[in-house]
Amino acid sequence: MIKIAARPVTKGVAEGEAIVSHMPISFTGGMDPETGMIREPGHDLEGRSVAGKILVFPTGKGSTTGSWQFYAAYKRGHAPKGIINVRAEGVVAVSAIITNTPMVHELEKDPLQLIKTGDFVRINADEGFVEIESKSGDEKD
Amino acid sequence: MEILVAYGQCYDAERMIPITSVHVAGNFPVLQDEGIEWLEELAQGGTRVTVYTTKNPEMFDPEQAEELRIPDIYRLRQKRIHEALISLGVIPTYTCHHYLVGNVPRFGDHIAWASSGSQVFANSVIGARSNRDGDHVALAAAVVGAIPEWGLHLPENRRGELLIDAGSLPLDDYGPADYKALGWYLGKKVGTRIPVFANLPPDMHIEGVKGLLYTLTVTGATGLVHLAGITPEASTLEAAFGRKPPLSAEIIPSQKEVDKAYREISSSTEEKVDLVIFGCPQCSIQEVQEIAALLEGKKVHPETQFWICTSRWVKTLCERMGLLESLKSCGVRVVADVGAADGPHLYLKEQGVRVIAMNSARGSYYAHNLFGMETWFGSTRECVQSAISGRWEGRK
Repeated sequence: MIKIAARPVTKGVAEGEAIVSHMPISFTGGMDPETGMIREPGHDLEGRSVAGKILVFPTGKGSTTGSWQFYAAYKRGHAPKGIINVRAEGVVAVSAIITNTPMVHELEKDPLQLIKTGDFVRINADEGFVEIESKSGDEKD
Repeated sequence: MEILVAYGQCYDAERMIPITSVHVAGNFPVLQDEGIEWLEELAQGGTRVTVYTTKNPEMFDPEQAEELRIPDIYRLRQKRIHEALISLGVIPTYTCHHYLVGNVPRFGDHIAWASSGSQVFANSVIGARSNRDGDHVALAAAVVGAIPEWGLHLPENRRGELLIDAGSLPLDDYGPADYKALGWYLGKKVGTRIPVFANLPPDMHIEGVKGLLYTLTVTGATGLVHLAGITPEASTLEAAFGRKPPLSAEIIPSQKEVDKAYREISSSTEEKVDLVIFGCPQCSIQEVQEIAALLEGKKVHPETQFWICTSRWVKTLCERMGLLESLKSCGVRVVADVGAADGPHLYLKEQGVRVIAMNSARGSYYAHNLFGMETWFGSTRECVQSAISGRWEGRK
């Protein structure tokens, strides 16, 4: 178990299986709110669902309407449980704020290096840290 | 207010600052039913905006709802959004070129514009100050009349972060579509950083500027772009960086990469074109004039639809100038209150439209990824030629 300090964007605690992308995500056009599936052609998570996962990615991109699509996915139970960004961007931050999704950014170490898809991750946005339990023998990506 | 406080805290904002202008973006395809309910909840209890607030395009032109056989379920949703906006006191402009029709901030004004394209336009061309806020923050800011002071509201955060030298591109021959392809390629490299462009022509046409800026925010998430010699805060490279500019450029794009971007933007492999659609962002009157001139004396292929999406203002101008009639006789439909990126594709798809041609890289991205349309991307001329022949005439 590794523990790393992080800066909270929202409050709350979330834990679960990580899904890691090395590419920015646009919730409008990039994610299907009906399923939580990433659908941007050529994206490293294309065809994979972020629903109920701890979503780890560098930052947001694309349309500022993304917070509507995230909100719809959340209401339908297909949003990620928690978000870890390298650097938060306005659209992703407000998506987390309006859905009370625990979110942190600006970790002490690069989360994209430390966290692998399938790892067990706990976000504590109240106290500002992330805990990672590596599942390196059981890699899923 | 809670949204604004949480948002401000996340970025260590020290205070709230008053804003002069707000623009909000979402329509039904992005809001979905859940978003409409969110808007209605906000509107309940008499909440009203306290700042001049305009609204991006909707799904269909209400004056053509019958003719276009818009299903009741969409009419009802657009009506609910419209009523919530009216109740909130939002001006129902339904345009994404609101800066052409009245919502014009001044240099240095603090604003909250949700609509990534016009937001980067406001920062980079007008020199007003907006972050990439998104609708929820913009609406909250419109109600409160203020926004947390962070990011691009602070002069020290508006300095350039990387240099892009456009000098090796054949810019003398560049039209708006080329700048869009360039923006597509560069957006991925730039990400959320603030780029400074050197060696762009100082007389760069506004459609080229819009093309570059609006596409940079599709593949990237930059909020401000310094076009040296064009952006008010970037009269020189030194001014753009707030210090001595870097000696060498981080990115020197080549034409090869721009050509590759052209192929990436188009998602279609089928040559028969069902629809040619202009207006992402909505067409200005000059663009409509250009399209009309290219079409003069010719007819749109009987199996291809041709749409021009624009604002109610520009459509009225078209009518006054006789353009509406002449375009109609060529087989062109001019629709107001909608944009070419999102709204119409919902019902056009249900009506069997599958392969579309656009001169907008931004529109192509959203039409494909939000609605599953097969898209071709090219210049205005290539799109018009494709409408006449019914087959894609641009580069493949």
